[in-house]
Parts: sequence; structure tokens; C-alpha cells
Amino acid sequence: MILRNFLLAIPAAYLCLLLFTGGTTHTGPRRPPTRTASLQLHFTHVVNGRPMALGTTAYMNAAGESFTITMFKYYISNFTLTTTTGQEITLPAAYFLVNESSDSTKRITLPQAPEGTYQRISFMIGVDSIHNMSGAQTGALDPVNGMFWTWNSGYIMAKLEGNSPVSKQPLNLVEFHIGGFKGASNVLRRVQLNFPQPVKLSAATPATVQLTADAYTWFHLPNAISFKKVASCTTPGTQAAAVADNYRNMFSISN
Amino acid sequence: MRVLSIITLFALGLLFAVLEASGTREHITLSPGGPEPYVLKLPPGLPSPVYDFSKNPLTKQGVALGRHLFYDPKLSRDSTISCGFCHQQFAAFGHYDHALAHGVEGRIGVRSVPTLFNLIWQKEFMWDGGVNNLEIQPLTPLTDPNEMGEDLGKLVKRLQKDPGYRKMFKEAYGTEEITSQRLFRALTQFIATMVSFESKYDSVMRKAPGVAFTPEEQEGYVIFQQKCAACHREPFFTDNSYRNNGLPYLPALNDVGRMRITSNTGDYLKFKVPSLRNVLKSSPYMHDGRFFDIYQVFNHYNKGVEQSNTIDPLVKNGIPLTDKDQRELYMFLNTLTDPGFIANSSLSEILIR
Repeated sequence: MILRNFLLAIPAAYLCLLLFTGGTTHTGPRRPPTRTASLQLHFTHVVNGRPMALGTTAYMNAAGESFTITMFKYYISNFTLTTTTGQEITLPAAYFLVNESSDSTKRITLPQAPEGTYQRISFMIGVDSIHNMSGAQTGALDPVNGMFWTWNSGYIMAKLEGNSPVSKQPLNLVEFHIGGFKGASNVLRRVQLNFPQPVKLSAATPATVQLTADAYTWFHLPNAISFKKVASCTTPGTQAAAVADNYRNMFSISN
Repeated sequence: MRVLSIITLFALGLLFAVLEASGTREHITLSPGGPEPYVLKLPPGLPSPVYDFSKNPLTKQGVALGRHLFYDPKLSRDSTISCGFCHQQFAAFGHYDHALAHGVEGRIGVRSVPTLFNLIWQKEFMWDGGVNNLEIQPLTPLTDPNEMGEDLGKLVKRLQKDPGYRKMFKEAYGTEEITSQRLFRALTQFIATMVSFESKYDSVMRKAPGVAFTPEEQEGYVIFQQKCAACHREPFFTDNSYRNNGLPYLPALNDVGRMRITSNTGDYLKFKVPSLRNVLKSSPYMHDGRFFDIYQVFNHYNKGVEQSNTIDPLVKNGIPLTDKDQRELYMFLNTLTDPGFIANSSLSEILIR
């Protein structure tokens, strides 16, 4: 008899659970109204305000050291949009690898969001921890993109390579492969940017936001880096986390 | 009661629909006419595998593709080294008689080749645990310059150009598309079938009719339980932990072990505890293959342990093993050999055209 009561309780519990999940998904961010639209993001890369040109142009870091950039790429993911009334919408999962050497990667289309007027966007620089542990991925997360460590599983969230005459590395290399998703070595950083004026999202008229990423920030504040002392960081750890604390400030909105 | 059951089913269905819609599940269902399910027979009483099969259900065609990839030397940069080159079935998929891993152009790595079996129960891979998912494990030997030395992107492009592989990927996945994810998942399917639980030890534990330890094996089992089982825990014969077992440090290799992965000085010289299953078939021993004979291993624990800051408390004072103990331990370890696994024709090397 006790067993039978228990068996009867199971469907009741499921019904409660169903009602509960049904209730929340109806008003929550995962079940948008019927009309949706997607926001486009266009990225421009600069170094201390000057256009980024791979390999050819010499820039100065905050320590006054000359350097060039030969590679500049980073993951962004886990987008949210906030309406002018303060409602935060979490967009469906999407991962983008933005790469200076590939124009198509600098123009991305975010997943569908409800039509409306938005005041703010936020996203993560990097790939959330769960996708660092979930085995073989595809698309932007495919390890063929050279952004996954073979010896210590996990994504390189952002990569900057170049040269500086003051670097003591072979060939005066500058190599910053920033990754790590555990504990104090976690380099995942969230960026939140207010739109200069509200962005109206509607299926009829597509909206585009211009973002600028400034590589100068990587070695500036709050953790100034001199290439004479540190020209390479290719493992998770405190140095990588310090660079992530810098590059979280690299984005601005230019329209 | 029946009505409630129907409601339950309905509710469950809706619940799963909600989960699907919210993108929290990526569950692949096999469709009729496509690849046929492969049923992996696992012995009763074991914990559930760590590996999540829901995104990569085993199929006959997927396992066959994985086996073909495993034995194909064309996966390496100069077409000389297959996975099976170093992972030899007769050595329980270790590298018999080779202390350090070999690779393309005659290169030699810095660690010994680990055995391959029961990996679906492992959370982390490599001697230092640096790889966190079975699917992504092949990435390391495929790309390491001292092993197969190939660029992953080039490898995928080469496979895409191969009509034979396009056909096999279609049979395994329904379309000809070849991605690194499909490559890794197929290799994982084959490796998942490397299951070793049919040793004499297993028969004795299952009380199989007519099977018993000899008196020496039984004595060896007692010694094993007293002196080895804390780290080499049954039934996997490893607790999957990382320990410094007091091996003298070799400056020539300068291998700091797990510290490289965690950046924690407390992990200096720690390596994964290997399984003892099939141990007498898989010499040499230790992460650098320095011991070619199991008696050298016994001797190390008996009186060879080197002290250091991270030495494991369980071996710090050595593990006294008399000559008699060692002989009996050998007899017991011999019962951990799984002849059916080592001779399993569905795992054996196949001719790659």
C-alpha cells in the first residue's frame, strides 16, 4: 500500500514540475514572442586608436616599447540584450571566433531576439567552462581553428601574436595565448556595453552595431605589461588572468 | 491508476520537449535505415561509464570506422605511424618493449605509451591527466610532433579527399561530411569497445564454476590487498588519482608530472596511478618506461623509493616485499591478464589499403 501511494506520488510530482517549468518558460527569456529579429555586430580592430594592420605596422605599448601584431583573434559567446525597460534577454547559445585576418568573421549575426528596443548588450570573452570539458566540438569551436590546447584541455580564449625588438623570446616573438577556465586561472570575462542610443530591433529593418576592439588595452590597465619582462604567456595561470583583466576593457561601441 | 500512468507519460513527454526546446540536451537518436546500433556488453556491478554516449551512440558502422582510423598510418604526417603502431593489442594496447613513445621520422617522446582499456570509466587522460574528455584525447597524439605530428586541419582535409573515408563516414553518420568532431567520435566509438573484465581474477570474483585461485595466487591476492590496493583499487585496479610513488627523478627527462597541468607545486612528480589489469602483458612500466620487468617494480617499492616533498604517504617508508611475497604477487598479477581481450578479433589490426 505504501508502495502504491509512492507510485501515485511520482506522476503528481511530474505534473507539478511540468506546471512549474511550463510557467517559467512562458514568461522567461527562452520563449520569445512570435516576432523576432537578429542584431548584427561589426568589429573593427585598432591599436591605441590606429587601425590594426597585421605584420606591417609598428605600434607602441604603454611601456613605450615598439611591437607588431601578426595574429589577433578571440572568442565571444553567451550574449544577452537588455531592453530599455530593463528586461534582460539571454540569447540562444552561440560561439564566434573573431579573427583580424578574416573579414567574414568580423561581421556576425547574433541569434534571434524578440523585437523591441534595447539599451545594452553583454557577452563573454571566451568559451564557457562547460564547453571546455564536453569533448569534440564543431563550427567555431572546432579544434582545427588552432584555439584548443592539446596538452591541457581547454580553449585558448584569445590570441595575440607579434614581434617586439625588446622581447627576449626566440625571433623576438610576442605570444599571448590566453586560456584557463578553472578557479583562480579562470580567464572568462564578461563585457557589458551600453548602446549610445537605444537600438530598435525589428524583423523589417535589420540593426547593426559597430564595435571596436583595441589591442592596446591587453598590455595597459590595470596590469601594465612590458615585453622586456613578459613577452609570452601560453599557459593558464595568474599571468593569463592578468591579461584577461586588461582585455576585458578592449571593446567600445562606435555608432 | 492507468489514467495516472498515461498522464505521467504525457507529462514526461512534455518535460523532454521543454528540455529539447531550451537547448539543454543534445541527444542523437538513430533513424531506421541508417547506422545500426552496437550493443556494448558490460559486466554487471560496475558503475555507469563516465563517458556520455548520448551525443555519440555506438553504431556498428561508427565502431568500424573508428577501427579503420585507429589502424591507418595515413593519419600521421608522413604516413608511417598509426594509433595501433604504439598501441599494440597483444600488449593490452601499450607499446611492448618500448620505454618511450615513438613517432614520425624516428622521433622519441618523453613518456611511455599507456595501455588502452576501460577508458569509458576514466575522467582524465594522459599520465598527467591533462586531457579532460575521452573524445578529445586523440588530438594529442595526432598533433604531437614526437608522435603522429600532423596538423588537424590538414588531416581533416586529407580525409575529405579520400573516397573510401567519405563512404565510411556516410555509413557511420548518414552523410559524407567529414569533420574533426566526427573523426574524434568515431575513434572514441572504437576505443569504447576496448573493455577488459574477463581475466581469471574476474572469473574467481564472479564465482564461475570450476575456477579458483591457486594457493600462491590466493596468497598474492592477500598481499595485493594489504600493500597495493589502496591506490590500485578494485575493480579497475586504479583509483585514477595522481601520486608521487618515489621514483628517482631523471634530470634528462625533467618531467614534473601533473604540476605542468595544475601549476600547483603540490603536484610535483605526481603521475596517474595506472591500472594493473593486463600488467604482465604491458611492460615496460612507469610513466617513463624505466622498468622492463615487474620484479624491478617490486624492488622499487621494496627499497628504491626516493624521498621528496610530494612523496605519497603510502609509499614514503617503502613497501616491504620479501622474495616469497614478490613471487606470490607475480602469480596474482598474472590472474589479471585478460586473454580474450588481448586476442579479441574485433579489436585486432586490419589491413588498410
